[in-house]
Amino acid sequence: MSMTISTNQEAPLLVARDLSVKFDGADKPALDNVSFSLHRNEVLGIVGETGSGKSVLARALMNLLSENGRITAGDVLLDNQSILGMDDNELRRLRGGRLALIGTNAKSLLDPVETVGSQIVRVLRAHRGGSKRAAWREAVDMLSKVGIVNPERRARAYPHELSGGMAQRVVIAMAMITSPQVVLADDATLGLDATIQVQVLDLLVNRCRELGLGAIIITHDLGIVAHFCDKVAIMREGRIVEIGPVGKFLSGPTQAYSAELLEAAKVRPTPVVREARETSPDVKRTALLDVSNLVKHFPIPGTNEVVRAVDDVSFSLARGETLALVGESGSGKTTIGQCLVRLLTTTAGRVTFDGEDLTGMSEREFRQRRRRIQMVFQEPYVALNPRWSVANLIGEPLALLSAAGSVNKTKRIRELLDAVQLPVRLADAYPHELTAGEQKRVGIARALATRPDFVVFDEPTTALDIRVRAQIIDLVRDLQAEMGLSALFITHDLNSVRSLAHAVSVMRHGKILEYGPTETIFASPQEEYTKTLLKAELPIEQSQVQRERAERMLVGEMR
Amino acid sequence: MKNNGIVLEFLRRPSAVIGLTILALQIIAVIFAPMIAPYSPIEADPFASLEAPSVAHWLGTDVSGMDIFSRIVYATRINLLISITAVIVAFAIGVPLGLLIGYYRGLLSATVMRLFDFIQSFPVFVLGMALVSVMGQEIWNVAIVLAVLFIPMFARLIRAEVLSLRERPFISAARCSGATDLAIMFRHILPNAMTPAIVQISISIGMAILLTAGLSFVGAGVRMPTPEWGLMVSIGAQQMILGVWWVALFPGLAIVLAVLCFALLGDAAREVADPTARRR
Repeated sequence: MSMTISTNQEAPLLVARDLSVKFDGADKPALDNVSFSLHRNEVLGIVGETGSGKSVLARALMNLLSENGRITAGDVLLDNQSILGMDDNELRRLRGGRLALIGTNAKSLLDPVETVGSQIVRVLRAHRGGSKRAAWREAVDMLSKVGIVNPERRARAYPHELSGGMAQRVVIAMAMITSPQVVLADDATLGLDATIQVQVLDLLVNRCRELGLGAIIITHDLGIVAHFCDKVAIMREGRIVEIGPVGKFLSGPTQAYSAELLEAAKVRPTPVVREARETSPDVKRTALLDVSNLVKHFPIPGTNEVVRAVDDVSFSLARGETLALVGESGSGKTTIGQCLVRLLTTTAGRVTFDGEDLTGMSEREFRQRRRRIQMVFQEPYVALNPRWSVANLIGEPLALLSAAGSVNKTKRIRELLDAVQLPVRLADAYPHELTAGEQKRVGIARALATRPDFVVFDEPTTALDIRVRAQIIDLVRDLQAEMGLSALFITHDLNSVRSLAHAVSVMRHGKILEYGPTETIFASPQEEYTKTLLKAELPIEQSQVQRERAERMLVGEMR
Repeated sequence: MKNNGIVLEFLRRPSAVIGLTILALQIIAVIFAPMIAPYSPIEADPFASLEAPSVAHWLGTDVSGMDIFSRIVYATRINLLISITAVIVAFAIGVPLGLLIGYYRGLLSATVMRLFDFIQSFPVFVLGMALVSVMGQEIWNVAIVLAVLFIPMFARLIRAEVLSLRERPFISAARCSGATDLAIMFRHILPNAMTPAIVQISISIGMAILLTAGLSFVGAGVRMPTPEWGLMVSIGAQQMILGVWWVALFPGLAIVLAVLCFALLGDAAREVADPTARRR
């Protein structure tokens, strides 16, 4: 099944032909007859969920599989030369020279004991030789091209002195320095803030276009594909289920699975539990949670200075209302959540819950309120005790209810499993036996066990696959509607904010910059920062520029 | 089901099988000593002094004419008893202590840690000899001395685990679910922190056997005529120069076997417990 679409007359730069990979001991191949071609000046997006084989594909293209993996069939041709027939020397020139890989989590890809400049120099000299001095000049030059301010000085920095975004730029510079023919970005922006992600990808794609390289962007974010790619391949279980121009895919995927992915990635319509707010006119007076002038400082060890993580923040939340706290990492949003559930003590300010001041309470008094105030933790796996079974994990908070007999407890655990749509057989499973989505559900079930009035959701949708993310959003929406829960959403995933929250507070540097109803904030943001943040969200549709580019390529093909 | 998997995993290792075989022999010796030993372990026979191994005395006799084989069999009781008791006591005290000083970090924890530094900064033998000579050369005193030496080891192991575990998100999550400090310590942290300490038990027993024998050898352990391996080696060593090799050699071999047994078991346990080696 060859579905390659030639976007111009030239011979393709990179061709994968019926590529199959199998790992020892696995019953199914990791890659199964994968075929595609990549032209000069073309950006191919490869999308798939966890385990779909997209990272294996990236490694196979470089002939860099781990020892227990083998290419069982097919071929990879770079400029009409098979990479499988290459000897060690040619392979060395290929990797990092002609085909450059940019991986996830740049900080762990860089050597911590060497300056980033000399690491780039080493890559360059390994491929091209030349004097150290000339290579250093070139490295500094490349750092400035990837948008690093003050490259002279930054080249002398060690990886730990750089921010995540800057480290990612260094890795891009390292990949670009050898002027490769093809750049492979394997989830290169995973874990970066949205604004940084867009900057990094903009830079990467623009550099590729300027130099006429081919680029492959491996991701699970369809927004990235819509914005940066010309062609998209949808992968599932080691196979490409659909491949074609991005515009065509977005307007109508041909396969059921890709249609499902696309649907899952889209924003859910907003209406959630409106009633609570509308039926009670005096919402402000009966606010369930009222936070005023909250301050949290962390002392910097060895000095008298402090980090102002939360700096004079006030907001209030009505019964049944959902407020989203959005902002980039380090904006203090998670700290607020932890202050509310008393994992952290507050430095100053007041938190009033249902008329009671929580800030003055002793730990013992507060314990009585834990039943009503719960939290769903960010990373599902690490927030579950690995030695506890699902039933025990879900049952733990029930101890907060005074009259929880063991019979009731078993019954309640079953109800909760039902509520979060987990099969009863998982009650005896341990966290490591669950998928990420299931773990998230267990976390939610735990938080709901005591029928709380208010729940803090810390990043409920990050690090989840597209479809799982959509399922979790739907689940939370349903549960909220059923239980009339008030919730605080801490997230940087604006897409989920639209689907879940009534109101939004935008945070930066520990302060709330802007607050308003969700629609208002998204439609007409007032603050410059909010506008930047919103711009960084990549909607699942092609921009004007992209569409024009696609048309130009099509015309070029006809000529 | 889960536990069966671990046991099978354990039994698949040759080191575990060899270790368990030696352990079984020792246990048989402990239980059936009177039936196995042909002579009394403490009765001297002046007419059979320093006899070479023969049909009557399989492993020969020592200078007082006591049957070496019988003494080695009976000594298993003393040596294992002292070592295992010492390690169990050290484990029972060290583990909760480590949990406490890892969980609550204050002046008291720091003081306990300095006390551990103090204990561990002495050469083991010097401290052992000093303590035993103060308290008297009783079997139980030897066990107590060994326990004191091993408590810091277990406590430090647990403390190191607790220090990293207490910062993990699932502890925060448990706190939000209303778990009290006690519940967090004993139900959440302890089960996750135990593995290295459990592996250490076996290795420590091996070390304890060696120390018990060593203390007796230098004269700071149990006294004659109690059958004890280290003491037997010590007495035999005096005759080595006369070409009487069996008096020291056989109890020495018993020590080697016993230490080897627990070292092998500890190795196998560590391999099985290592999460990186066993991840599904």
